[in-house]
Amino acid sequence: MNIYFLSESKLKNLMEILLGYGKIFAAKEAEVASNRDSKSRIFIKELNENLIDGYLVPGFRAFDNFKSFVLPARSKVADYPDEKWVDIKEEKNKKVLIGLKACDLVSFSILDKVFLEDKDFIDPFYKKRRESLILLSSDCEYSKDSCFCNLLGNFPYAEKGFDINLSRINGGYLTESGSDVGDKILKKLSLPDAKENQIAKRDKNREKVVKSLEKQNTDFSEAFSKLEDLSSKAFDSDDGWDLGSTCVSCSACTNVCPVCYCFTLFDKEGNKKERYERYMVWDSCQFKGFSQMAGGMNPRFSQIAQFKNRYYHKFFRFNEKYNVCKCTGCGRCIDNCFGGIDMREVLSGAYNFAKVK
Amino acid sequence: MKNIYYPRQAKLKNIKEETPTIKTYQFELDKKLKFKAGQFMQLTVPGVGEAPFTPSSAPGEVKKMEITIMKTGKVTDKLHDEAKLGDTLALRGPFGKGYPMDKFEGKEVLIVGGGVGLAPLRALIYALFDRIEKVKKIHICYGAKSPVDQCFKDEYEKWEKKKKVSVDLVIDKPHHDWKGKVGLVTCLLEKDYLSESGVDIKNAYAVSCGPEIMLKFVTFKLLDVGFKPEQIYLSMNRRMSCGVGKCARCNIGPYYLCKDGPDMCYADIKDYPNVFG
Repeated sequence: MNIYFLSESKLKNLMEILLGYGKIFAAKEAEVASNRDSKSRIFIKELNENLIDGYLVPGFRAFDNFKSFVLPARSKVADYPDEKWVDIKEEKNKKVLIGLKACDLVSFSILDKVFLEDKDFIDPFYKKRRESLILLSSDCEYSKDSCFCNLLGNFPYAEKGFDINLSRINGGYLTESGSDVGDKILKKLSLPDAKENQIAKRDKNREKVVKSLEKQNTDFSEAFSKLEDLSSKAFDSDDGWDLGSTCVSCSACTNVCPVCYCFTLFDKEGNKKERYERYMVWDSCQFKGFSQMAGGMNPRFSQIAQFKNRYYHKFFRFNEKYNVCKCTGCGRCIDNCFGGIDMREVLSGAYNFAKVK
Repeated sequence: MKNIYYPRQAKLKNIKEETPTIKTYQFELDKKLKFKAGQFMQLTVPGVGEAPFTPSSAPGEVKKMEITIMKTGKVTDKLHDEAKLGDTLALRGPFGKGYPMDKFEGKEVLIVGGGVGLAPLRALIYALFDRIEKVKKIHICYGAKSPVDQCFKDEYEKWEKKKKVSVDLVIDKPHHDWKGKVGLVTCLLEKDYLSESGVDIKNAYAVSCGPEIMLKFVTFKLLDVGFKPEQIYLSMNRRMSCGVGKCARCNIGPYYLCKDGPDMCYADIKDYPNVFG
């Protein structure tokens, strides 16, 4: 694919074209932003034509995740009995998401495996929403303490999965298309090709962030490179999982996680007589009721069993089925944990315990 | 695009009281539905919610289907207390793989049920009766709390009269109305008892359904008397919501019971955490 140069002043033109496709939702630096903050101060906001002026693509991932664009916290999936809900029509209106980082794109590819690529049962609502998205990603310009995408074999910049990718360099962005839609949009701007020194600059920036990630995560790399060893040894007993004892089962981690998709179906009476509604609602494996049965029996009764189950799903169960971990390494769970639990430390702790054993 | 969460309407045609807490509901569907023994349905009580049940009637391509349900939670309470003939409920499914019928060919099948766990097994029993010439023997072992708590009471005699079929019943505690064996269902699986009943362990498959605590001790007993993990199938019916392997609560190891089960070969699951809770 060709790489073009988009000057900062022309970003507005790009946004204007995108507005023609549908609503824009972008990661946006909050007023109080400070790079010294350990947590992200970047939030996803809708950008209308009044707000696109002066918008800059942030250099770090958003505080909130993008999964709610494909899996809303609560969405109606049936209105019964009613024939029109038997088949679901495709979505015509597009939504443009801007400022996704590589980890956010990875999250979509992971969710796709469950909801789109399982040929036996395709989730029609997910499909409809997913296909209506136009994704504009951008390179990470820095990493924060909680980032660990490198431990999962990911990079702080995207190579695929986007419609358009933006890499910030002096005075603008290097712009690359990753799809036909992306091509079409960029053609409308008639941008100049990127110069070799600009590409070299981009690669240098990327290298810098990769280095800083590697440096901050050195202590954890052994455990993450030997997940298979861990799976066979660490889950049999609760020993080695002490770090999970500060978990208060609040579900913050599963809610902010861009790939935690566990849900429940919830029915209620509708507005009309003898008409009922079914909703798909985010659930959390950290709740006691998640797998508790009607008779009261619960295969994961203790708090630590629930806690371990999340790790088990992310790093083993999903892996065995789809050959990839259900974790992007974005670090949102670490930023948001009331118990101060760091996923990297927990896994390394369990790994070290199993190794000694 | 098909909506996998939409339930199809089903009319309630008959209700039969099996025990004070268990009833068999017969549903008539709007069109024919094909299901295999062991596959389950998500039954919707409109406005209340869904719960998974394996039909207890003979499998095949059917318009009518029976589901035997114990009163024990939000959905089943509502069903037991309020459902009446002619009501419209809804069904989604069938889901899951069902029992491995091919494997049972030329073998003996030892069926071990407990309480309402006999319900899914009844579908299997009928499926096996249907191909009785292909199986060597069918041993049915059923344990209930008391004679009052036995499901399908009026059918045992019919079953036992069939060639190649034996039925053994047991209840938990002595009861003035009971002359048969007393004890847990595992007492029907003692080695001496099995050989007395003529079970050829090497050539048999065991299939069990019941509360998870029962499955645990049935499995241990079966292993103890010489069954191999490969010969044991367990109906692991855990809490399920979507039925299609997505909502992620009903797993054992990498398997989703709703999609890969609910009848799992013990050999496949035995090494994973929380197999029996």
